[in-house]
Amino acid sequence: MEIGPILRAMTRNKLGVVLIALQIAFTMTVMINAIFIINERNRLMARPSGMEEANLFHVSSIGFGDDFNEQIVTADDLAMIRQLPGVINASETNAIPVSSSGSSTGVRLVNDESQPSVGTAIYRSDEHILDTMNLELIAGENFTATDMRYRSESGATLAEKTIITRALAENLFPDVAINDVVGETLFMPGGTSIQITGIVERLQAPWPTSSLIERSMIVPEQFLDGNSLYLVRTEPGERDRVMSEIEELLIAQNDSRVLRGLSSLTETRADTYRLDSAMSSVLWVIIITLVFITCMGIVGLAVFGINRRRKQIGTRRALGATRFEILRHFMLENFLITSVGVVVGAALTIGFSIVLTTNFDMPAMAWYYTPLGMLSLLLIGQLAVLGPSRGAARIEPAMATRSV
Amino acid sequence: MLKMTDVCKVFRTELVETHALNHVSLQVDEGEFITITGPSGCGKTTFLNIAGLLETMTSGQYLLDGVDVSQLNDFKRAKLRNQKIGFIFQSFNLMPDLNLFDNIDVPLRYRGMPAAERRERIDKALESVGLFSRKKHLPAQLSGGQQQRVAIARALVGEPRFLLADEPTGNLDSNTARGVMELLQEINTAGTTIIMVTHDQELANQSPRNIHILDGRISNGTPAPQQETDKEAAPAVA
Repeated sequence: MEIGPILRAMTRNKLGVVLIALQIAFTMTVMINAIFIINERNRLMARPSGMEEANLFHVSSIGFGDDFNEQIVTADDLAMIRQLPGVINASETNAIPVSSSGSSTGVRLVNDESQPSVGTAIYRSDEHILDTMNLELIAGENFTATDMRYRSESGATLAEKTIITRALAENLFPDVAINDVVGETLFMPGGTSIQITGIVERLQAPWPTSSLIERSMIVPEQFLDGNSLYLVRTEPGERDRVMSEIEELLIAQNDSRVLRGLSSLTETRADTYRLDSAMSSVLWVIIITLVFITCMGIVGLAVFGINRRRKQIGTRRALGATRFEILRHFMLENFLITSVGVVVGAALTIGFSIVLTTNFDMPAMAWYYTPLGMLSLLLIGQLAVLGPSRGAARIEPAMATRSV
Repeated sequence: MLKMTDVCKVFRTELVETHALNHVSLQVDEGEFITITGPSGCGKTTFLNIAGLLETMTSGQYLLDGVDVSQLNDFKRAKLRNQKIGFIFQSFNLMPDLNLFDNIDVPLRYRGMPAAERRERIDKALESVGLFSRKKHLPAQLSGGQQQRVAIARALVGEPRFLLADEPTGNLDSNTARGVMELLQEINTAGTTIIMVTHDQELANQSPRNIHILDGRISNGTPAPQQETDKEAAPAVA
């Protein structure tokens, strides 16, 4: 291998080498950190909500007119929907996970408002909600129809029971086995007590960026404010058909209302994470553009270097170099330049990552990002220079004796 | 050691067909010093390229140390060049970014020789051309004559069977050219076969055997002094 002579020769043509090495270093820094950010976003977007989202849709019913009785209409609507072919279950709820819209509250283990509370999302729904969302009940039991409470004024909840998520249970009772949490009492704002009767494995809060995303509670209660939000779970493959029929059926049932917001959970999730998806796409475009420009730089430097040294290549061939040895010479030259770039890039990448972690509250980058990035750039560099190197290897040895 | 029979080289384009070498037959024996002369474009360099395996011939037969080189692929030709042939070029063809040591090292690296042996050979080659003390210098820091000495050292370091020189004094002043010529004669006296292309008739006259090429054919030749009975060893057949 000709590492020594190539390195010594490179030190005599520093400018081009340094510029390409720096370009590779900056590309690597941006590429790795951008991929890390994309992966973080993807990880957040991929978190399960706890629901069977593929077969869920929701629609809002807003009643009007003096004779509109929300409690009766809701009960009739849900009874009608549950009878529809292809429907598994349906519930009225105040909020839906991943929708970015919902309610939160603070709960305490003691009835003392001077003590800190634990924040949680609160879903007001009925005894069908576990089946509608297809939540996994890991301890305790579901609500019954008699647990339901109805109120038309805001204020403290009237419900006496609650089902909470495992994350909320572990937060409230870190040293208690999950099964033993069932039966414990919580205190709501205003001092109302509520008993934990069940625990579900997972039910995300409606706000994807919230720090309390995994902490949720369900209470058997309907707030009669004229606005009913129906969540419907269908058999697999039936969602779109039922969605296309539901508005007509609801209006036929009662036309003193406006229906709006008919949407599948898949669409709701896509809407909620639209900015994250867009950012990922933009970052990918930046990465691809940067890598392309860097490849062009590498190819440009290689082609320039080869054209400048055509006679030298011919001379090397005359002195006994095989085509493969010429190819190897230029691949090795690029490998050394790229190696300098990726080593500098590794330092920049780690530094930039520390800045992101410190100033933007991002999690620390996993250790393998940097070596994988280095390896990728080395491979990209070798692929970029392969074409020009093969061109160099095709230069005939007779070039050595040509005067031009 | 070198025997060409009816060697032709034709360069073809869509419009023109050029016969650079036209049925050239020649035998060169071990230890000879042959000069090749002729006007520009007569085929001297083409002859040198074919003799040095830098180009393939269109037809004919070329035996180098008994090996029919027309049957060899590019890889084997490269290895044969590296093992048996030394080249000296008119414009020296040194690598400007490599110091003298690394320049002379080039053919040895392609031979896969161990580093210690390479170092020993390079030092010896540099000493033989009087440039050992300059081994860390770049070619640009040397005069033309010194650069050609480095090129000669590079050609000799692999201990080739024969040396091909393409106008080795063409870019040198007369005094320096004389020095280079003396060096080549020393090398030949030491046993290396030399074929030298030159424009300089005075230099050609100094060699025991001169081949004149005209329009791709050997037009005359002086017999090799040491040739004896082998008819095929006749110096030139046009």
